[in-house]
Amino acid sequence: MGFTDQEILETIRMFELETLDIRTTTLGISLLDCADPDIESACEKVYAKIVLHGRNLVAVGESISTDYGIRIVNKRIATTPIAWVAAACGERDLTPFARAMDAAAKVCGVDFIGGYSAYVYKGFTNADRALFDSIPRALAQTNAVCASVALGSTRAGLNMDAIARFSELVLETAALTADRGGLGCAKLVCFCNAVEDNPFVAGAHSGVGEPETVINVGVSGPGVVRSALARLGPEADLLAVAETVKRTAFKITRMGELVGREAARRMGTTFGIVDVSLAPTPAIGDSVSDILELIGVDRTGAPGTTAALALLTDAVKKGGAMASSSVGGLSGAFIPVSEDAGMIEAVRVGALSLAKLEAMTSVCSVGLDMVAVPGDTPASTLTGIIADELAIGMVNHKTTAVRIIPVPGKGPGDTVEWGGLLGTAIVQDPGRFGCRVLHGRGGRVPAPLQSYKN
Amino acid sequence: MAKKFITTEDVRRAGPGSLVVDSETIVTPQALEYAAQNGVRIVDARGAAWSEPAPDRGPDAQRAMRTLPHLPEPASDSDVGSTQMVVVTAVGRNRAGVLAEITAALSSANCSVHDISQKMVQGFFHLVLTVEVPPGTSFAQLKAVVECLGGQDDYVCRVMHERVFRFMHRL
Repeated sequence: MGFTDQEILETIRMFELETLDIRTTTLGISLLDCADPDIESACEKVYAKIVLHGRNLVAVGESISTDYGIRIVNKRIATTPIAWVAAACGERDLTPFARAMDAAAKVCGVDFIGGYSAYVYKGFTNADRALFDSIPRALAQTNAVCASVALGSTRAGLNMDAIARFSELVLETAALTADRGGLGCAKLVCFCNAVEDNPFVAGAHSGVGEPETVINVGVSGPGVVRSALARLGPEADLLAVAETVKRTAFKITRMGELVGREAARRMGTTFGIVDVSLAPTPAIGDSVSDILELIGVDRTGAPGTTAALALLTDAVKKGGAMASSSVGGLSGAFIPVSEDAGMIEAVRVGALSLAKLEAMTSVCSVGLDMVAVPGDTPASTLTGIIADELAIGMVNHKTTAVRIIPVPGKGPGDTVEWGGLLGTAIVQDPGRFGCRVLHGRGGRVPAPLQSYKN
Repeated sequence: MAKKFITTEDVRRAGPGSLVVDSETIVTPQALEYAAQNGVRIVDARGAAWSEPAPDRGPDAQRAMRTLPHLPEPASDSDVGSTQMVVVTAVGRNRAGVLAEITAALSSANCSVHDISQKMVQGFFHLVLTVEVPPGTSFAQLKAVVECLGGQDDYVCRVMHERVFRFMHRL
């Protein structure tokens, strides 16, 4: 075999002490063949197809965990954006689709199902509009369903009418789930340059270019990178830091490649992509913020944080790209504020402002994620925050997202506990100046010059 | 062309009697329930009661089943043939009989040890065994037998498939 003790112990240490795991195996299922002029029939088909394909997903994940000794934390399902499936039925209320998805997820034993989605970066179809209008009720009435909408792209620009409507939806969703700290908004995300094979909720869905069924894998491992950098010490230069992150990301991604191949084989379907994102959890040590602080900033949010994050995201991608021919999804570093103990602490001590967070998202793999703002934040201010974030994605050819939670009854500095993986958030101050005129103008931010490539 | 799905509405339209469906057709649970309540028999072309088809994972899935086994695997230094190799590690406080306990458990599962190494640091040991598992022996069973050895304030055993190490440390 020829493994050295050092190699074997390194692997064991990663799994046992550094919380290395496979964060998710996500089964993508096309629901395009479930379209039906009758909404009840369409929902029956959606339920039947998800259950037929997804029923053994959890068992397959657990069998791989047993056979290889690798934890697979979440098993999830992503579907075709429901607006496309629902277009044939012409209904105004699409919540029955959400209930069908929720029921199917429960039978399959998965905690989240993504795909209550629409692409509206240039405009709305009737079905897109119906889906938008039903999002708050769909999220309030279901447990497992996640909604995502694509509001902009580098090719199309930003649909400001859709962004303004989305801001209202966020506030409505928060109001309908006020008893749970606006938790419905944790299942609602908007994108610029949405990724069609993203395995991570809330944005998981199976886009129009995806096959009938597909297994996508999301790896994690901030704890492993953190430990590697801790061993490297503060004297090493940044080239050595990048090299260490790259080597570690390579090893982590190899686990994703192994599990992806095996999950696809056991499910009898296609292996899609490995998403090599460093995805933190509220567990101590499983933190992207800790990595940034080990690279050399006093606190996440201090000057130097954006540069450190740029180095980290790039090195993760480079290591991942060498480890798998199927790297896809978002792949980089996630910075969900409430889900990362280090980020929460950075907000608490005043190191990490909303403005700095926005700057960081220009070099991370996603965007403003799990950010709490006061419940009385005006829709126009949310529009401004979202448009700013999506503009970063549009101009830089990258995916950016916003998952923002206006917490009902809470003001800046207040704490809200969502529990579990969603963690704890400290409500951040969006400032007292708004953008009512921009919000009211509507229309479209045209596609930037760099999109004219043909 | 056969319908891909049969819904409650399809059963209602078909009326009483037998509804013949294709073997690939998915009948929704709601349609099955409606049919049972209203005396409609859902049958295949031979008159047998409908049974759920195997999921059709799509054209790419069929190709994937042919191509997945041919994806290059990280090189193995030894010819393991049809056997599985696993890596057993144990860490804990040293005492008489630890190695005997572990190898006895492996022996009871018909496993043979290919490689062994142990290090001692201040009364604590670190043991790494590379073990061949014969065909027919369940990895899960072996794992259960070995991982329940030792205990609190004694030692801890871990069993991992050799492929994990190969993927992580070999190209």
